[in-house]
Amino acid sequence: MFLALREIQRAKVRFILLVLAIGLLVFLVLFQIGLRDGLIGQFIGALRHQSAPVVVFDVQARKNIEGSRIDAGTQAALAQVSGVGRIGRLGESTFTVSNAVSRARATPKDQLVDAVLFGYEVTGPAAGLGAPTTLSKGHMPAGINEAVASERNRADGFDIGDVIHIEPGGADITVVGLAADINYSVSPTLFVSWDTFEAAKRVRNPDATAVLPSVMAVEPAAGVSVGVLVANLAAVPGVVPLSRADAVAQSPGVASVSQSLNTVIGLLVITALMVIGLFILILTVQKSASLTLMRAIGAHRRTLALTLVLQTTVVVLAGVIVGGAMMAAISPLLNSIGVSFDLVQLLVVGAGAIVVGWVGSLGAVLRVLRIEPINATVPQGMLR
Amino acid sequence: MTSTAMNAAAGTAPALEMHEVTKVYGEGENAITALASATISIGSNEMVALVGPSGSGKTTLLSIAGGLLAPTSGQVIVGGRDISHASPTELTEVRRNTVGFVFQSVNLVPFLTARENLLLVDELRGSRGKQSKARADRLLDELGLSKRLHNLPSQLSGGERQRVAIGRALMNEPALVLFDEPTSALDTQLGEQVMELIQSEVKGRGTAAIIITHDSRMTHWCDRTVRILDGRLQSDELATAG
Repeated sequence: MFLALREIQRAKVRFILLVLAIGLLVFLVLFQIGLRDGLIGQFIGALRHQSAPVVVFDVQARKNIEGSRIDAGTQAALAQVSGVGRIGRLGESTFTVSNAVSRARATPKDQLVDAVLFGYEVTGPAAGLGAPTTLSKGHMPAGINEAVASERNRADGFDIGDVIHIEPGGADITVVGLAADINYSVSPTLFVSWDTFEAAKRVRNPDATAVLPSVMAVEPAAGVSVGVLVANLAAVPGVVPLSRADAVAQSPGVASVSQSLNTVIGLLVITALMVIGLFILILTVQKSASLTLMRAIGAHRRTLALTLVLQTTVVVLAGVIVGGAMMAAISPLLNSIGVSFDLVQLLVVGAGAIVVGWVGSLGAVLRVLRIEPINATVPQGMLR
Repeated sequence: MTSTAMNAAAGTAPALEMHEVTKVYGEGENAITALASATISIGSNEMVALVGPSGSGKTTLLSIAGGLLAPTSGQVIVGGRDISHASPTELTEVRRNTVGFVFQSVNLVPFLTARENLLLVDELRGSRGKQSKARADRLLDELGLSKRLHNLPSQLSGGERQRVAIGRALMNEPALVLFDEPTSALDTQLGEQVMELIQSEVKGRGTAAIIITHDSRMTHWCDRTVRILDGRLQSDELATAG
């Protein structure tokens, strides 16, 4: 401790430079993670933050909720599957809406936007199955023509009290609650009752004989795991049952977005590894004469190695604080692209950074462990 | 007069005993004998000058005496402890607690102040606190460095750095202090001052010392001079009064 801190204290400039370099890398990692989660959240946040543990798709839809339709026969077959606790309809469709009749703020009368409606069971045995899980303000829809809207779009005419008109000639839906991260396809998203959803679909297609749900929202019976339920449901012909997490991960586009941004994050981690490793190694080479002297006067190898590890830990921790502060300062400007500051994420990245720092300093530690005290008797210029 | 006889004359227990110590580097045809059957005994309050040409085995002898090197054969007893077959960890402990070193080149940690360089010794021994600080301050005061406590080595002159190194070597209250050419980088006047200081500090503490030197003008500060040539101790003579 004494040695590690004294050296940092006496070589402030070089350690501050390293802290800033690590801080910048930590910030970039946090930003990339935020961007990845933000983008994915805006694409399929509604699926991720709905309450049903299992979602059943039509096999033809290739796990895309927009192309999925579950017919009545399949609905009945799914309900009979062993391990099913509750099962309900979950519909998804994009509508053109206007918020011309908004009571909360004045907006242009001809403002038309696309919004996604998710219809779920508000009443009956499956009540609440498929409802948003991140309600932050207001309440869930209690009946017809009420909605919980995506919090991100509250300033765009989707705040509590705003009235959304389904075009052309559809119902007026009042926003009664807001929920975080429930966007779908980067559009304003409304969670409504199945009846509201069905009515909206019928306005658009009055000749439809029946309005089919996009997917079925399923909850396992008591004592049945999600994995077992998924396996049981898979026996029904023509469907693909997925756990909520799998449904999110296997949504079209999500994997490629995750892979691209994870590659960038991986490169940043490698860069951090190299920066920390090379810096600590250079420092170790520069002070090898001092380390040899300390070995000669009775310092254990492990004492010197631990000093190096402690120094790395202190510097990386300082870098994590700097990176976290940068992220906290800049995140309010990045809300529009879904990037936000998350303390838990910072702690996870910080722990990872410390491990990366330790791995990075391994080369220097090995060099310290190889120092022979006899070299203290060799004139300095002859030390290698 | 033999060293044993001199120790007996001095009436002191040896700080260092080496009996038939040999050090061979390499093996087979490439084997080089750096030290051959060296036998020497140094009393607990004795200062010995070790002189000899380059490559004669001075540093090898010093390194074995200080636990920096293990002998190929023979017996080495430092401060009453037989280290002939000590493990590297045990040798580290001997260096930390029983021996003090002043090396020819690097002696101080550049990012520690004069005082911290002394405190480092106690830090490595796991003892720190007011007593350590008081001892470091007292030593530096005796060495005329009381106003240089908080200076880094780069802010000290060559002579001052050497004095700090002497203080560091004495910080663990060793049985034996080993000096490898302590005056080689100093001019004659400064060299004499440093030798006088070494004698004063070593004798004042009842500590034994071996001083490697090329400079025959410095040997008079020691109780006796031992010569070494081609790895063999040649002669052992009492110094004339300094």
